Amino acid sequence: MHYANTYLDKPVVPDVNINKEGSEIVLKCMLNTGSDIYQGACKKRGSTLKEEYKNVSGTCYMDPRDMEKLGVNNWENVLVKTDWGEVVVNAAASRDAPHEGTVFICKGPWANTVVSSDTYCCSDPTYKGIHCTVEKTDRKVLLMADLMRLVYKKYVDEDDDETIENMPSLGELPVYKKKE
Amino acid sequence: MAYEEPITDYDEIVENCTCAFCGCNCDDLDYLVKDGHVVGVRHACRLGASKIMEDMDQRLIVPMVRDDNGELKEVDWDTALDKAAEYIANSIRPVMYGWSETSTECMKEGLALGEYIGAVLDNQATICHGPSLQAVQNAGYPIQTLGEVQNRADVCVYSGSNAMNSHPRHLARYSVFCRGFFRSRGRFDRTVVTMDPKFTDTAKMSDKWIGFEQNGDYGFYNAIRAVLKGKELSQDVISGIPKEDIYELVEEMKNAEFGVLFFGLGLTHTLSKQRNIDIAIKMVQDLNKFSKWGLTPMRGHFNVNGFNIFMAFETGFPFGVDFARGYARYVLGETNTIDLLTRGEPDVFLVIAADPGAHFPNKANQHLAKIPVIQIDIHWGPSTELADVVLPGSFIGVECGGTSYRMDGVLIFMKKAIDKPETCRDDEWIVRELKERVMKLRKEPNVAPEYIPNPAAQ
Ligand code: SF4
Repeated sequence: MHYANTYLDKPVVPDVNINKEGSEIVLKCMLNTGSDIYQGACKKRGSTLKEEYKNVSGTCYMDPRDMEKLGVNNWENVLVKTDWGEVVVNAAASRDAPHEGTVFICKGPWANTVVSSDTYCCSDPTYKGIHCTVEKTDRKVLLMADLMRLVYKKYVDEDDDETIENMPSLGELPVYKKKE
Repeated sequence: MAYEEPITDYDEIVENCTCAFCGCNCDDLDYLVKDGHVVGVRHACRLGASKIMEDMDQRLIVPMVRDDNGELKEVDWDTALDKAAEYIANSIRPVMYGWSETSTECMKEGLALGEYIGAVLDNQATICHGPSLQAVQNAGYPIQTLGEVQNRADVCVYSGSNAMNSHPRHLARYSVFCRGFFRSRGRFDRTVVTMDPKFTDTAKMSDKWIGFEQNGDYGFYNAIRAVLKGKELSQDVISGIPKEDIYELVEEMKNAEFGVLFFGLGLTHTLSKQRNIDIAIKMVQDLNKFSKWGLTPMRGHFNVNGFNIFMAFETGFPFGVDFARGYARYVLGETNTIDLLTRGEPDVFLVIAADPGAHFPNKANQHLAKIPVIQIDIHWGPSTELADVVLPGSFIGVECGGTSYRMDGVLIFMKKAIDKPETCRDDEWIVRELKERVMKLRKEPNVAPEYIPNPAAQ
C-alpha cells in the first residue's frame, strides 16, 4: 500500500566540518529542553522505539562555535551532565544558531534524565535554563527501550549501570508474549 | 526532501475531519482512506499528518499484563480490566494522570471513578501550562477567540513559543497569513513580533525578533509595563535588549488596532514560571488602556484545554484536583503529579492518553518504577516500558468521535472516520468498565466524614 511518507532518518541540520581537536574537554553550558517539529512528528506517530526517535529526541543541538571548542562533528556522541543525571546523546549543529553557550535537547526520555524536577511549588518542573556540562564520549546513544531499562531498572534484575548499558538491545519493535 | 508522488490509490475521502494533535484543532482535514487505513491526509501539517497516519508497528492492539518475570503478556480484556481494577481498588493514594488526548466524554467517566475512590486527577497542564492557569487565577484572562484574531488582529506577538514547530498551521490558519474581514490582504496587513532567546523558525519569518537573554523574560515585560505607564528606563540595556528598542516596541504595540499575545512554554518553563505569565497578562491589561489587546496560551495537546475547562466546571479547579479527603482540593505544589511523585506518595498510577515516560523528569519517573502503573493509550511508548497493565484505547478523531476544546476554548466535535482495530476499545468504555469493576471491589465510596458543629462554639 502506498502511504504518504512521514518517516525520516535524521533531522535536517546545517553542515559543519570540524577537523581539528577541540580546545576544551568539558564545556559549561546552559541546557534548554522543548520540542521541535521532527520530535513532535515522530513521537505522536508512535515511532518511539525506532532509531528515528533516538535521532530526533536524543540529540543535543549546539552552536557550531561550541562544537568547535569540543571538536565534535554532527552525529558524534556527547555526554551531557547536570546535577540531576547524565545521558549520552548525539551532537548536531542547531538550526536556530547563534546561541553560543546554550544547548538544546528535545523532550523525551534522554532529556528527562538530566532535567530538574524542582517545581518551586508551582506544579511545573524546571525544563529550561539548567546548568550543564558537555563532553565528548565513546559511549553510544541508547535506543528508547534500552535507555528506559538503564535509567529506571524496573524489570531488570541487575543494579550495575555498566552491565545494563551493555546488555543486548531490546530492539526497535514491541516485545511481548503473544497468546498461544 | 525528495519529491514524492501524490497519493492517488485510495477508496474514499472522508472530509472535514479534525486533527488530533495540537491545540489548533484544525477541523478542515480530508483523510484518504484505503482498506480501512488512512493512507494520506490533505491540509494537515507535518505533525498532524504523521500522527494520523500512525506507526502501526507500535500500535497497542491487545491488552497486556506483566507476568512474574517482568515480561508483558497478552491477556483477554476481562483479565486485564480485573487486574487494573484490583490495583485501583486496593490503593490508598491513586493518581489518574493524562486525559489530554482523549475526549471530554471519557473525562466524565474518569471524574466519576476518581471521585469514588478518592484519587488525584491531573493532566498535562501540570507540566506545561500549569503556571499559565495559576497566573490566570492571579491576574485575569483577557482572551479572544482565534476567529477574532483572523478577522481583526494586526499585531501578533509570539512569546516563548516556536509556533512554526509546535503549532505549524497556527500562523497560516488563524493569525498571520490568513485573510480576515478587516485584514483582507492577510500577511501584508499584519506585523509579527517574536520574543525568544533563540532565533527560531518563527523568529525567522517575523518582522521583528526580540532575543532577550535566557531567564530575562520577567525583567523585559516589567520594562515594557514601566514604559507603558510613562516611566523612563534608567538602565541602558534590560535583559539584553537596548532601551531604545523597548521604547520603539511599546510605541508599536500601543498603535496596534487589535493586538494579540500568544505565549508558550518558553515562559512557563523558565525560572520565574507563573510570575512570567502574571506580568505578561498585566502587560496586556495595561495595553488595553491604549488599544485592544488579548492573549492566548499556545496549548499543546488537542484537548489539554478541555480537561482544564471540564474540571473547572465540575469541581472548581482546573487541574491537580485531589479527592482523597472526600471533597475536591487543589493545592499547588502539593496535589500535582510531579510533586506527588517526587515525594513518593502515590501507590498506583493510572496514565491515560499521556506519556510520563517521555515527559516527566527522571526523579518523578523513578517513583513510577516502584509502583504499579496502568496505561491506557494507543501506542507503545516510553511509558509502556514502565507499565504493569496495558489497555489499548482508540484514536479520537480518527477511529472514534468525541468533543474537544481548542486552545481558545472553542468546543469542537471530532468525528469518526475509520473503524478501530477489532481488539481495541474506546477510551470511554475502558474507563467506564474500570469504574464499574472498582465499584464492585470497593463497596463504599470515599466520602468526607460528616461535619458535626460544636454546639458550645455556636
Ligand atoms: S496545526 Fe496542529 S491541529 Fe493543525 S494540522 Fe497541524 S498539528 Fe494538526
